[in-house]
Amino acid sequence: MGLLTGLKDSISRVTDRLFTDEQPKRIGIYGPPNAGKTTLANRIARDWTGDAVGTESHVPHETRRARRKEDVEIERDGRSVSIDIVDTPGVTTKVDYEEFTDEMEEDDAIRRSREATEGVAEAMHWLREDVDGVIYVLDSAEDPITQVNTMLIGIIESRDLPVLIFANKIDLDEASVKRIEDAFPQHKTVPLSAKEGQNMDEVYDNIAEYFG
Amino acid sequence: MPHQCTNCGHTFPDGSKEMLSGCPDCGGNKFQFTPNSDRSAEDGADGDADPETPAADSTEAEADGVASRAAETVRGWVSSEPTDESAPDAPEPPAADRSTASAGTADPQPTGDSRGSDPTRNERSTSPGDRGRASDDGDDSFTEWPDSARRPEDRSSPSAESTASDATDDRTGSELNSSDHRTDPIADASSERSEPDHETAAVADSEDSAQASARSEVVPADDLPTGSDVAGEGDSITEVDPIDDGGSEETPDHGRVVSEPSGEQPSIEELRAELNEQFESIKILRPGQYELNLMELYNRDEYIISLQEDGRYVIDVPESWHDDADE
Repeated sequence: MGLLTGLKDSISRVTDRLFTDEQPKRIGIYGPPNAGKTTLANRIARDWTGDAVGTESHVPHETRRARRKEDVEIERDGRSVSIDIVDTPGVTTKVDYEEFTDEMEEDDAIRRSREATEGVAEAMHWLREDVDGVIYVLDSAEDPITQVNTMLIGIIESRDLPVLIFANKIDLDEASVKRIEDAFPQHKTVPLSAKEGQNMDEVYDNIAEYFG
Repeated sequence: MPHQCTNCGHTFPDGSKEMLSGCPDCGGNKFQFTPNSDRSAEDGADGDADPETPAADSTEAEADGVASRAAETVRGWVSSEPTDESAPDAPEPPAADRSTASAGTADPQPTGDSRGSDPTRNERSTSPGDRGRASDDGDDSFTEWPDSARRPEDRSSPSAESTASDATDDRTGSELNSSDHRTDPIADASSERSEPDHETAAVADSEDSAQASARSEVVPADDLPTGSDVAGEGDSITEVDPIDDGGSEETPDHGRVVSEPSGEQPSIEELRAELNEQFESIKILRPGQYELNLMELYNRDEYIISLQEDGRYVIDVPESWHDDADE
């Protein structure tokens, strides 16, 4: 079935649960393309459910549709926190197929670009409509102060959503967690390597604390 | 004593604003104007409205009661039947109004001058014809004109009132005033002499100055049209005139603010284009290349779920779900 159908079902289920206290928080994993969002989502999903969420790739915009993993139960200190994880397409202000032409045929690159654009629109829409909290993933080897990051975090703050900043890719030599902490001092920054599984305990502690 | 109360005889100097709030002595609101120098005014008037003048002349010949004619002409004018005669007539009424405002008797010149400056205004233009008539006769005729003159009240109103209103005023003024306000025998003067017209013109001019001074309090001189010097009346009238002007040739003299905006249009279009760009959520530069406005995407209720290769796109609005989503 289509993803949207699944979303529809889940939404109606959530609606049914609207007046109960038990509904899992829907945590959106946001961030620029290639920050490692899907890798993180897969790491979390595999750690707690055994399933993967989506395909990871070094080519940006591999995730062009929001994917979610529901009812991920995270246990911390004997306490269980249930969340829905939504892996979103990387958000950017420009999509150019020429970015992919080294990896694929032009036609495929163009299609990927188009889908990525649709994905950004979808991610922005879900940010507005359907998330209860945000994990904002940044590549700690990259400059965190960009238009996209600033704008997205501004939007998240304006929504008053709980947000955690994950400084991903600390396994890279160029990684600088401090640069991210300095860029967004108003938010909690958690260093990790989703790919290598580094510092995942602290990740889960903070997820449970912020979104439980 | 260009201005005189028709009720108690109180006189006001040319340019005085006192009468604008009624006669301080008796509270009367009818005044007559006596221009100081008729001819100068006349000349200017003549020069201004040559075309009209002829018509005016013709009317003059006919007319005994300039006022009455004027009223008629005005009506015709209003009805938009501008024959030459009518045009001249129309102008006259204004002058008459002015004259009444100022003071029936006095010096033609001021009014004439004002009109000359007024050219832009229809009234003025029309007045020219009157002026032409008047020019021949001279000051004497002026006494008659007062009848045609409007009450100060009317004058002030004219701006708001369009030509139509003026016309009505004129009519009433001419008819009513002739009996009431006008010093005298406007009819006589007008009928007998073309001069009356001049007088009216002169009156108008004088009035103009008075009005101008009054206006000066409210409106800076800079704001006034070029012609403003001549007549304060012009100012008040001017507003009315603009409408009339369309018909009259004079328009060029007064720089209308209206003309200025033209240059801005292009910039407005540019601004609109800019706005459109800003509000566009997804800009397709070319196939495979997109610019996204994140705030716009975020703020929209509906969102794009599918971009088509031909540049079309599919949007979805909340609560209309499709099953065709690709995975």
